[in-house]
This record gives sequence, C-alpha cells and structure tokens, in this order.
Amino acid sequence: MSMLSRTLTYENIPVWRHTRIIRRTLQTVSAIIIVALVVWFFTNIGAAIDDRDIPFGFSFLDREYQTPIGERFIPYESSDTFGYAFIVAISNTLLVSILGVIFATALGIVIGVARLSGNWIVSNLALVYIEFFRNVPLLVQLLFWFFIVLALPPVREGYVILDWLFINNAGVSLPGPIFPESALWLPLVWLALVALGIFSATRVHRILERRENETGKPSYPFTVACIVIIANMVGWWLILGAIFGDAPFTFSVPAPQGRFGRIAGGVTVSAGLFVVLIGLVIYTASFIAEIVRAGIQSVSRGQVEAARALGLSPMGALRSVTFPQALRVIVPPMISQYLNLTKNSSLGTAVGYTELTNIGITMTQTAPAISIFVLIMAAYLAMSLTYSLIGNLYNRYISFS
Amino acid sequence: MAVNPNYTPAPPLPPPRFETGTLGWIRENLFSNSLDSLLTVIVGALTLIALFFGLRWVLFSAEWEVIVTIGGRFFIGNYNSDQVCPGNNCFWRPQASVLLITTLLGMAWGVAGSSFVRRIAVGVSIVLALSALLPYSLEKMGWDVRILLVANLATVAVGYALARYTSLITPARIAYLSVATFVISIVLLMGISGVPGMQPVDVRDWSGLTLNLVLAVAGIGLSLPIGIALALGRRSNLPVLKLICVIFIEVFRGVPLITLLFMSQHIVPLAFPEAFPRNSLLNAGIVITLFSSAYMAENVRGGLQALNPGQAEAARALGLPGWQTTLFISLPQAVRNVIPAIVGQFIGLFKDTSLVYIIGMLDIVEIGYTIIRGRVEYQGSTHEVFVFIALVFWVFTYGMSYISRHIERRLGVGER
Repeated sequence: MSMLSRTLTYENIPVWRHTRIIRRTLQTVSAIIIVALVVWFFTNIGAAIDDRDIPFGFSFLDREYQTPIGERFIPYESSDTFGYAFIVAISNTLLVSILGVIFATALGIVIGVARLSGNWIVSNLALVYIEFFRNVPLLVQLLFWFFIVLALPPVREGYVILDWLFINNAGVSLPGPIFPESALWLPLVWLALVALGIFSATRVHRILERRENETGKPSYPFTVACIVIIANMVGWWLILGAIFGDAPFTFSVPAPQGRFGRIAGGVTVSAGLFVVLIGLVIYTASFIAEIVRAGIQSVSRGQVEAARALGLSPMGALRSVTFPQALRVIVPPMISQYLNLTKNSSLGTAVGYTELTNIGITMTQTAPAISIFVLIMAAYLAMSLTYSLIGNLYNRYISFS
Repeated sequence: MAVNPNYTPAPPLPPPRFETGTLGWIRENLFSNSLDSLLTVIVGALTLIALFFGLRWVLFSAEWEVIVTIGGRFFIGNYNSDQVCPGNNCFWRPQASVLLITTLLGMAWGVAGSSFVRRIAVGVSIVLALSALLPYSLEKMGWDVRILLVANLATVAVGYALARYTSLITPARIAYLSVATFVISIVLLMGISGVPGMQPVDVRDWSGLTLNLVLAVAGIGLSLPIGIALALGRRSNLPVLKLICVIFIEVFRGVPLITLLFMSQHIVPLAFPEAFPRNSLLNAGIVITLFSSAYMAENVRGGLQALNPGQAEAARALGLPGWQTTLFISLPQAVRNVIPAIVGQFIGLFKDTSLVYIIGMLDIVEIGYTIIRGRVEYQGSTHEVFVFIALVFWVFTYGMSYISRHIERRLGVGER
C-alpha cells in the first residue's frame, strides 16, 4: 500500500486525494458515458432505419404536398410543395400565438388587477376565475369550447348581432380590413410608415412632457401624441392611395351571400382558430393574472401611499407608480407564459386547427416521419429561443436603467 | 371650576350604523365610493345572470343521465369490461389500491396528529364512502363494490390506530410504505397469471382516471430526482456534463409535449433494441417524466441560485466534502425555497397526462369521448361529460395546491 501511494503521486499528493486529478477523471468518465449513450441511441436508430428501409432525408420538401390545408391566412394551394406547406403551418402557429399573447395579456392584466380590487364581488370573481381555469387541463377546456362552437347553429341560421357580427358554427365574422389582392406589399408599406409615425409620436410625447415638467404650462403630451399617430395613419393611407391608385386596405362589413348564405367580406375568424384562441386566452390569462397580482404586491405599500399622498388618483397611482415598478417582477415570468402559450397552441391538433404539429402529423403519412419531427422541433426551438432572446434583452434593459 | 352636582353624562351613542357590523362591511367592501358602487351593481347583476343561467343548465336542462348511468367508467375505463376481464371481477383491484392509500392517509394522520392531515384523511375517506350511495342500479354497481368503498372508513381508522397506539409507524416508514403501495398497486392492476382472481390485464387496457393517476404518480415520483440531477449537472464545472444537461433541458422545454409524445411513438421504438420491453404506457410515461423533469431542473436551479453562497462556504469551512455540502446543505434549502414552483410543476404534470388522449391512449378524456360516440342517446351529452371531466381534474389539482399552500405556511417559505 505504501509502495503504491509512493508511486501513484502527483505533486506529492496521492492521486486519489488530488482534487485536480479527481476532477479530470470524473470529467473523462462522464464524457465517455454520455458520448457512449448518445452514440448507442443514434446507432440504434440508424440501424433500424437501414433494416426496415425507413426513408430519411429532406428531398421531400420540393415535392408537391397535394393535401388541402383547412385554415390559412397566406395563400396556399394543394399543388404547392411540402416546404411551402410547412411555412403555412408555421404561419398558422404564429398567428394564433400572436393573437393569443395580445388578448391573454389584456385579459390577464384586467383579472390580476381585479383580484386586488377592494370590491369584494370583483376580487372574489377574479379568484374563482383564476382557481378554476388554472386547474383544469387546457385540453379539456379546448374540447369543451369545441363542442360549444359545434353546437352553434349553421351559417344560414346563425346569430346576427347589429347586422355586423355573424356568429355560427363556421366561425365568427366581423367588420375588418380587406387588403388589395394585386398588391399585398402595400399594407406592409403602410404599416412600416405608421410604425415610423408612432416612433415620432413617442418623441413628441417626451418633448412635450419635459416642457410641461419644466415650465408648468399644460402641454397635453398624451393628446398630442395620439393626434400625431392618427394623423399619420390617415395621412399615409390617403397618400399611398393617391400614389398607387389602390388603397392599402379598405374596411368591409360581412354580409351573407348567395343561396347558401355564405358570409363574404369582413374578417372571418374560422371556428378552429376561434376555439383555439378562446381556450388559449382564457387558460393563459389565469396564469398571467397571478403573475400580475404577485408583481403588484411586490411593490412596497409605502410607494402607493406616497403617490396617494401626493394627490394621484388610485388609477393614476397604479398607472404611473405601481405598474412601472411591478413590471420588473412581471415581465420575466410573463415571457415564459408567452412561450407556454405558443407551445400550447399545438393542442389545436385536438380541435382541428391546422397548426404546425397538426400539419406535421398529417405529413408523416406521405413523407419520412423522422425528418418531419426534426423540422417541427427546429421550428419550435427557434420560437422558444426568440422568446428567451427577448427576455434576456429585457433583463439587460432593466438592469442598465 | 364648579361641578354641577346634577350633571350626569349622556349615555354613549351607539356606533354609527353604517360603519360596523354587516352594514359597515357591505359599505366598506361593496359601496366605498360611487365608482365602486357602480362596479358592484354591474358586476353583481352580471354574476347573478350568469349564475341563473348556469344553475338552470345544471339543474334543469343538462342531462346527467350519462354520468349517473356509467359514471364509474370515467374512473376505471374498460378495466372491468367483458373483453378485458372475463367475469367482470377485476373491479376490486383498483379499489384495493385505494384502500391501501386511505390506510396510508390514516397513518399520516396518526403520526402528524394535526387537524390539517385529519381533515384530508377523513374528508377523502368520507367522499369515497359516500360514493357507495350513488344512485346506480345494483347491476351496474353491486354490493361488493359498495362495501369496498365504505371500507375506506375502516382502513383510515386502522391506519390511524396503528400509528397512534403502536410504535410501528414512523414518518420514514410511511415514505417506504408509500413506495410499496405504488408498487403493489401496479402489481394489482397488472395481475399475476395463474393466481385466481388476478388474471393479467394488459397495460393497454388500463384506462380512465386510473391511467392518468398512474402516469402522474410515476412522473411525480421520478421527475423530482431526475430534475435535481439535471440541475446539479447544469451547475457542475464538468463541461461535457454541463453541456449535455443544458441541451437536454432546453430541448425538452422548447418543444410542446404533444410533439414529444408523437415522437415517442415514432422514434423511441427505433432507438431501443427489439428485446427491450416497450408499450405505449411506458413510452408516454417516460416522455412525460422527462418533459417534467426539464422544468423541474430549472425550478431547482432557481432555488440553488437564490441560495446565499455563505451557506456552502460555511459548510466547506467546517470541513464537509463538496458532495456532502451539496447534499446536506445546499439542496435541502434550495428545494424548500422552491416548493411552490415544484408543486405547481406537479399540478402541471397531472394536467399534462390528459394529452395522452391525442396519441390514442384510453385516459379519462378518451373514455369520455368513447362514451359520447358509443351510444346514440349520449351523443347530446358532450357538455355534461366534459364539465364532469373538468370537475374531476379540478378536485385533484385544487387539492394539490391547497396542500401546497399549507406546507408553505408550515415551513415559512418566503419569510426568511
């Protein structure tokens, strides 16, 4: 033994007691085990693919998909390729998640604030809402809404509210913009110009606010900024319409047409999208409400009391004192809820909304399954990385300001 | 100053009527100012209207026929059906595992002796015993089933007595017994060939809430240790291990569970040699557990990061080796601090077990669907079925969050 310890030394310490050696050994051993496991996993898959002649590869992406896609908002025909159909699928997922994020945030903030209301009925209703919808699986909720929508009357006997809103089992139609078929880029140009206008409005707001703070003269920064934005929207609409002879978009009101009373014009939210959207918004809002509540409660009481003592109204105190401070606590978990919402949109599969997972599963019938799963995973990972990137940027912004 | 000898102080006035008692409460909480009053009136009216229509639906228009006739199928699914279990005498096996669980609850009550555990143990057994009185016909639910349900009251009492009046039961033994109960329940559900009354039942025929519960319990039991291992791996200073853990966590967190479940059906069978035993239950269980443990790892990592580094430094200074510092100093505190997040993840896992419906397994949702599709007279009862399923899930998840809140208060999380 003493022989052994004399020979097996490194820097005069027996090797089994030397931290650097122990660490290196552990490192190598763990690396070998892990690499071996990964290699074993993939060689098995490779062998299985070879044995059973399972197709693999991405050449199918150029083939024609030849399957209709039920719901889409970018043009698609059955003769388009798999690759393009995949992009349509991603756009459907993005559409439902962007709309879902917007509505869920709005509803969640309202319910989170209601939960803290001094009004007994309001705060308890918010509590019931949160405790119920948070604790029931989203899938069950989606199926419930699905059957509610299925039970709606068919198109010809659907509900009509004020001649503007049509509700039936094909979806919900409401007045909205329609875009010129020939020039789909025109609305995008308009949108970009309006974004520029909104940016300039924020500058105007800041300048007027500073003047108000310095001189004490009322300068109405918020009103002026709103006017600037509206003027931009109307102005660019007129200018673009005058230059190109085609308005970026026009408003239209839905109306039943033809023998079957099909609803034409306006914006129609199809039944599948409607169900997924309602389910996702109601479910996610219950989580966001809890995040908002925790965020507002994290702001110390003294802040609100000081704001009230300075003469701010309860809403004013909430808007300009509590909320900006609560935002630091709220935003990081909120972003992970947005990510959850995006991933949960894959449950649209169960209620017939053709989003990424749904179309991917359908594709596996005519194309190699493994390649399709690789693509689906890559698409979802890209979305989740985008969300984490936004979260990290926000964290950096918060810690620097 | 001269005091008037005839002066008697007036009796004190009663407190203002509108500031105390019920009226005061109403005024403070419902009508504190004009905006508040308006809100109360509008929201109150809307609530009453919603309640009216809701209750009218529940009491008059809804047809609870389907739940009353075959409600038991939601819980054990096809387990006791003719094809799966000839002779229909398998019903006692899930019920026996429920009896074991209530015994454990009774023991926990006896050991802890707190009113909180008592409420849970007694409440659960009373609900189970009362379900023996459900208005099923004796053909659907015979005396044997009902007696086994009422027996839950006895098992709770036996468990309590064992823990209270003998020294056999300690908290550690309850933990071992829970694991044993899970194993025995699995054996009971699977059956043993050759033993009378225990004919084997294929796992593909485990269905209804039983399937959700088996998946959830196995997932909860395994995802915490795996999650802790992943969290430690992600914080370790061995680069390869760290990299693998990061990739694993981020991939499983970045992809929806359904995609993973579909993949488990297509790819996992390819990855394992033919000899490897595989079935859909095992596949789904593995995927749900791994998915959940990736989230668990992030929760635990959050707890480890929030820990004061002085704790680990002090432990090292006292001479504890690195692994003991982690195991006995850092981890217990980290896990204790993130109990709310961990229980939230458990609840999420239980809710996620409903997704196996999409890959065609017979969980409670799929059973509901087959009931609706199976008979013409039930086809109109979709809302009733899904409201019932939602309530079943809600009872379990709300129960879990109730227990979690109690534990939080006991441990004083967030107060130190």
